Amino acid sequence: MLKRKPGFYGIASTIIAILLIFPFGDLILQLFQKPNENWMEIKEFLLRDYIGNTLILVFFTALFSLLIGTTLAWLISAYDFPLRKFFRWALILPLAIPSYILAYTYASMSSYTGVVQVTLRSWLGTGLDQRYFNIMSMPGAIFILSISLMPYIYMILRAFMEGQSASLIESGRMLGKSHLGIFFKVVVPVSRAALVAGTSLVVLEVLSDYGVASYFGIQTFSTAIFRSWFSLGDIDSAIRLAAILMVFVLALLFLEKILRGRRSYSMSNTKHRPLSRKELKGPMAFLATSYAGIILLLGFLIPVGQLIYWAVLTYKDTLGNEAWILGLNTLGIAVISAIIILVFGIIIANYARLKNNLLSKIYSKISLLGYSIPGAVVAITMILFFIHLDRWLAPLYRIILPGAPALVLSMSLVLLVSAYVLRFLAVGFQSIDGGFERIGRKYHDASKMLGHGEASTFFRVDLPMLKPALLSGFSLVCIDIIKELPLALILRPFNFNTLATKVFDYANDERIPEASVHSLLIVLIVAIGILILNKTLDKEKNNEHKN
Amino acid sequence: MKKTKLKLAILASVAIAAILSGCANSGPETSKEVNVYSARHYEVDKQAYIDFEEKTGIKVNIIEGKAPELLERMKREGADTQADLFITADMGNIYQAIDGDMTQELTSKILNENIPEKLRGENNEWIALTKRARVIVYDKEKVNPNSLSTYAALTDNEWKGKLLVRGADSVYNQSLLASFIATEGEEYAKMWAQGIVDNLARDPKGNDRDQVKAIAAGEGLVTLVNTYYLGQMLNSADPEEVKAAQKVGIFFPENTHVNISGMVLSKYSANKANAILLAEYLTSVKVQEAYTAQNYEYPANKNVEPSELLKTWGELKPQDLDLSDLGRNNKKAVELFARAAWK
Repeated sequence: MLKRKPGFYGIASTIIAILLIFPFGDLILQLFQKPNENWMEIKEFLLRDYIGNTLILVFFTALFSLLIGTTLAWLISAYDFPLRKFFRWALILPLAIPSYILAYTYASMSSYTGVVQVTLRSWLGTGLDQRYFNIMSMPGAIFILSISLMPYIYMILRAFMEGQSASLIESGRMLGKSHLGIFFKVVVPVSRAALVAGTSLVVLEVLSDYGVASYFGIQTFSTAIFRSWFSLGDIDSAIRLAAILMVFVLALLFLEKILRGRRSYSMSNTKHRPLSRKELKGPMAFLATSYAGIILLLGFLIPVGQLIYWAVLTYKDTLGNEAWILGLNTLGIAVISAIIILVFGIIIANYARLKNNLLSKIYSKISLLGYSIPGAVVAITMILFFIHLDRWLAPLYRIILPGAPALVLSMSLVLLVSAYVLRFLAVGFQSIDGGFERIGRKYHDASKMLGHGEASTFFRVDLPMLKPALLSGFSLVCIDIIKELPLALILRPFNFNTLATKVFDYANDERIPEASVHSLLIVLIVAIGILILNKTLDKEKNNEHKN
Repeated sequence: MKKTKLKLAILASVAIAAILSGCANSGPETSKEVNVYSARHYEVDKQAYIDFEEKTGIKVNIIEGKAPELLERMKREGADTQADLFITADMGNIYQAIDGDMTQELTSKILNENIPEKLRGENNEWIALTKRARVIVYDKEKVNPNSLSTYAALTDNEWKGKLLVRGADSVYNQSLLASFIATEGEEYAKMWAQGIVDNLARDPKGNDRDQVKAIAAGEGLVTLVNTYYLGQMLNSADPEEVKAAQKVGIFFPENTHVNISGMVLSKYSANKANAILLAEYLTSVKVQEAYTAQNYEYPANKNVEPSELLKTWGELKPQDLDLSDLGRNNKKAVELFARAAWK
């Protein structure tokens, strides 16, 4: 072991962790104040509903996305069937549609004036019982969230199965295990870490979802925080609710660590054989293709088809030159934030890898905090923090530019970018942490032993091996930011709009068809991002196999 | 190492650029601009800002968002806020800005000429831009409009299982109930909310358009809707929405509940003169005509007639009350909804 003084990573990680925690100071202080009357009422009458609804939504969404995601990943990586190659990348596409857009679209489609009922009416010639078309309900929300979050699990698991578990699965086959036997006895246990990682991503997304729950009128923690804060002006209760949510999330992350375990199934080797796929024939092949096809239809093709139809109806009024500016704004802010996130992520994850002590573990957990808190809470937290910061820095502004206003940072894009970093650091960190975990520290230590310094080791040894993880982290963060709504909505500076805020403008006025053009632009950009990501990762993997 | 330096350089320059852009947006001496926090995101509004810029050379900087979030932001920014005008729908939101001591008098000769006294706050602390009527909407096929009379009559037994409403979270419903508290008293408002809940065909859900669609679908016979939503549906790009809207009729009850969208001048406005110019422009005949023609709202300017479509719906006979009461009674209304188990 190389003993070192508190090195670059330690100091940098500490600074980042403090930066991340600092904005929450106001919130935490508020927690120690005496609760008000309203809180008593919430505690007595409403809290049980909030907890109940949130748990139901989280549990079933996680369950269904797990079921769909794992079975698809297993099908794609272990079997050959018609259109497999197409489905392999196409099944990630549902990720390209923000869940609130999916919710608007499905709700409109299944409404009285939507394509489903109109078609049925013209076939049957009679009125229909609206109860059968009620997607704006708990089951509807579970459907929307499962189908739109499923790709997280599919992606993580597919990458794992294709890359890591070939020999184990093949041994299972040789030992004459059945399809199901291999799936449950080999695949599930071996890919436990990947399963847990994917599921926790899904759970965090559901916990912080505001768009779907509020549109469908489901009282969850997230909507309750909004309601207390903005409708009732009761910050105190909102913060208490947010705090409960955070405790919940911390418990979950702790559980994740336990479930993931430290046991690894010999993955320290970077060379892997691809899994040889079994060909499915006849009805089995048909079943596999239909299953993947239905999921793709529900999660992508149908909603996108509907959006395209609306876009044809409305583009004359909604597609102007402005769309380019909005697109560039959206991309620009995503790329800038993603770069900062990657730098922070590398520092913290590398510190955790090299030190693996209590402090580094705490830092890792801190980096996940922002992801678990609803966007609007992060937004208000950042506003409070930056206004404080600005007031504190105001004398400095006046030295640079006499007569400068007091609020500079909080009226600039710095505010929005910082909020994105706080909120989505977890996404980048998880990718990088996973990447470091795969590399281990053998190569790092060897390089140090051979006399390379920390920096040289990082750039010559770690960084090249980390490239796939960095790329996937970068794309995932960008995808998240391009789709993100509440932060952009609340924190944008003057005259700065993104595609998502434009979609919101229309949707908020109940003009769903008019929102379609900009929705499609989001879907298009994200889909391209996803496909590039997919290609790059595949190339990377093929190179590994060749080596 | 080169790579990190390059990255750092890029980051630093981005940060500086961003900060400078923040500065540039807010120079106090270049008072050729006006800053607006707006919760109205209509195309008409945007066009009006563009026209204003062309006409006066004053740049309109806009932050859009939902009213409560913009209010919270203004409150937090306090004396340092750069907002000059706050524009929003619903008196409840406007009242919060006034109640939170974030506003100052918005007065000029032109404003007072354009907008009748009833549509301005005491001391002009708020100015209405448009009026919005929350009316009774019914199934044209199955309901005889002669059987409709007042909001109160909807609580009668004959409507049991036939009413549709939006949730209690809707600020439009909150203001409706707040208006009853102001005009008829709390006890009446409480009974009314209870009476409506007892007559519902289904749990409250969806937005205003969804109520209209539910009537077209036969889920209920009568509902409460803001008129401009019907205007938008009748002019929708989606032919099915038009069909649904054509199935319903509009009934103006006696003392129709009228809410407003409006504006306030920030207490700490640094570009007050420009803000007043913009306010005057937004109440001018040209913009007010656009509000009613393109957005189907009732104009606040007394010299502007409602659009032809609005006139075909009938005559608006508004409630007689101090509109500020809608804001004052908002909290109470939320409470009464909760007690009536109006979801």
